[in-house]
Order: sequence, then C-alpha cells, then structure tokens
Amino acid sequence: MTLERRNGRLYYYRSVRDGEKVRKVYVGAEEFARIFAEGDILRRTDRKAQRERNKAELERLEAMAASVEELSEAAEVLVRAHLVNAGYHRHKGEYRRARGEAKNA
Amino acid sequence: MPEAKPRTLELSEDAKGRLTELRALSEKVEAGDKEARKELRRLLRVSSPEVIAEASGIARRAEWMLVKTISAGKPLMEEALQERMDQMRSEISGENPTPLEVLLTERVVAGWLLVEVLEGLIAAQYQRDVKAHRVAPTYVIQQSRILESATRRYLAAIRELARVRKLEAGAPVQVNTQVNVLRG
Repeated sequence: MTLERRNGRLYYYRSVRDGEKVRKVYVGAEEFARIFAEGDILRRTDRKAQRERNKAELERLEAMAASVEELSEAAEVLVRAHLVNAGYHRHKGEYRRARGEAKNA
Repeated sequence: MPEAKPRTLELSEDAKGRLTELRALSEKVEAGDKEARKELRRLLRVSSPEVIAEASGIARRAEWMLVKTISAGKPLMEEALQERMDQMRSEISGENPTPLEVLLTERVVAGWLLVEVLEGLIAAQYQRDVKAHRVAPTYVIQQSRILESATRRYLAAIRELARVRKLEAGAPVQVNTQVNVLRG
C-alpha cells in the first residue's frame, strides 16, 4: 500500500496479490488517497492487535492445558508403579494380576 | 504494555526425577526383574506421598487459574464454581479415599474444568457478532485442537480412576499398599 506524490498530486495504491504476482491497484487521489490510506492503516493495526491478542490467549490456554497434562502424566506414572508393585502387569492396555503372583507384592 | 507470558505450573525437578525413576523401575518389574520390584517398593514408600502432594498442589493451582478464567472477575461465579468443584471432589473420591484416589480425583476435576473453559471459549467465538471481530480460522482450529486433547485426557482420567477402584476392590492388598503410602 503506497501513497505516491506525482507532479504535486497525491495518489494512493493498494497492493493486490494475483496468483504469484502482486499488482498495484489505483484507489484514489488527493483527499480520497489520504482517507483510504488512513483507513487501511487503522484496519491493519486492528488486525495486528487482534492477532497478538489471539496469540496471547492461545499461550494462556496452552499453559493451563499443560498444567493439567503435567498432573495427568504424574498420576499415570504413579498408578502404574502402584499397580505393578501390587503384582499387576499390563496386557493389551489392561492391568492383570500375574498368575501365581504373591498377593503381598 | 505487553502481558507477561503465562507460566506452566510444573513439578519440581526432584519430583520429575522420582517419576522418571518410578517409570523405569515399573518397566523393569513388568519385564520380570525381581530386584527392581524391591527397589520399586522402597521408592514408592519413600517418594509417593511427596509426589502425590506436589501433583495435587499443582492441580489445585491449575484449577484456580481455570476458575479465574471462566468466572472473568465475577465473584459469585467464582464462588459457585469452587462449590461445584468441591461437590465433585467429594462425590468422585467417596469416603476414605486413598492418596492415589485423591490425586486421580483432582485430575478428573481439573480435566473437567479445563474442558468446560475451552468449550465455553470456543462457543463464544461462534456467538460473537461476526462484524465486530472476525477471529482467524487458525485461531479457532488451534483452540479446538487444545480442546480435543483436553477431552481425551479427561476421559482417560475417568477411566484410570475407575480402573484403580476396580483393581483395588478385587485385591484388598492394594488398599493396604495405599495405606502404607499415606503413613509415609
């Protein structure tokens, strides 16, 4: 997006992607050029702020989820250790007591 | 002013180390190593209460963060959520829960709350006036990804608690093990 001055007059162009190429599209001159340019800057700033808010929100959610995940992993290790200690072993995802396993294991 | 980057609540290095040891010993015992069983029993007796206490502490702090998020500064909502969670805890853990059951209960409650928070946030995206703020699809996709994984973990937590209860019911000796753990 550019504001260009030619022969003392102000012109505003937007950059538009057309496949792999980027074209300059004429938007307006003089007062219109200023108004459209300022409008575009405001929209761009707003989008950037929104992106940053979303990023911060996602980081916050990921941190909350990670805390629950940390807890889950700790619980899984402890459960397995307790069950294995009590004589169970995993068989196709299920815990089973081994045959002849001492009950006070 | 930029917001401070949120920190993940983490177990101490000591607790992480003990969990790594427990995992390795469990694997050895499952592979038939008798010496490892003795070591596992010793390590469980020594470290289980500490690790359970630390993990439960993390669960409570994570829940507090989630309650703050979902109640958005409304004290009544915060109060109601705390009450609901206390009810859930007592309903799920039942009478005389073992320390392991207490930890698994915390895991279920924290998982439930996380799923509630994420579902609420995603629903809010769809209810929002589309002209006011268009949320990027990538953002919603990422939110949904976090929700999917949280739901999976929440369901796994319920299954795990049920499994432990079932096995404990079938093998009273397991309860004795837990009681020993409680007494350190």
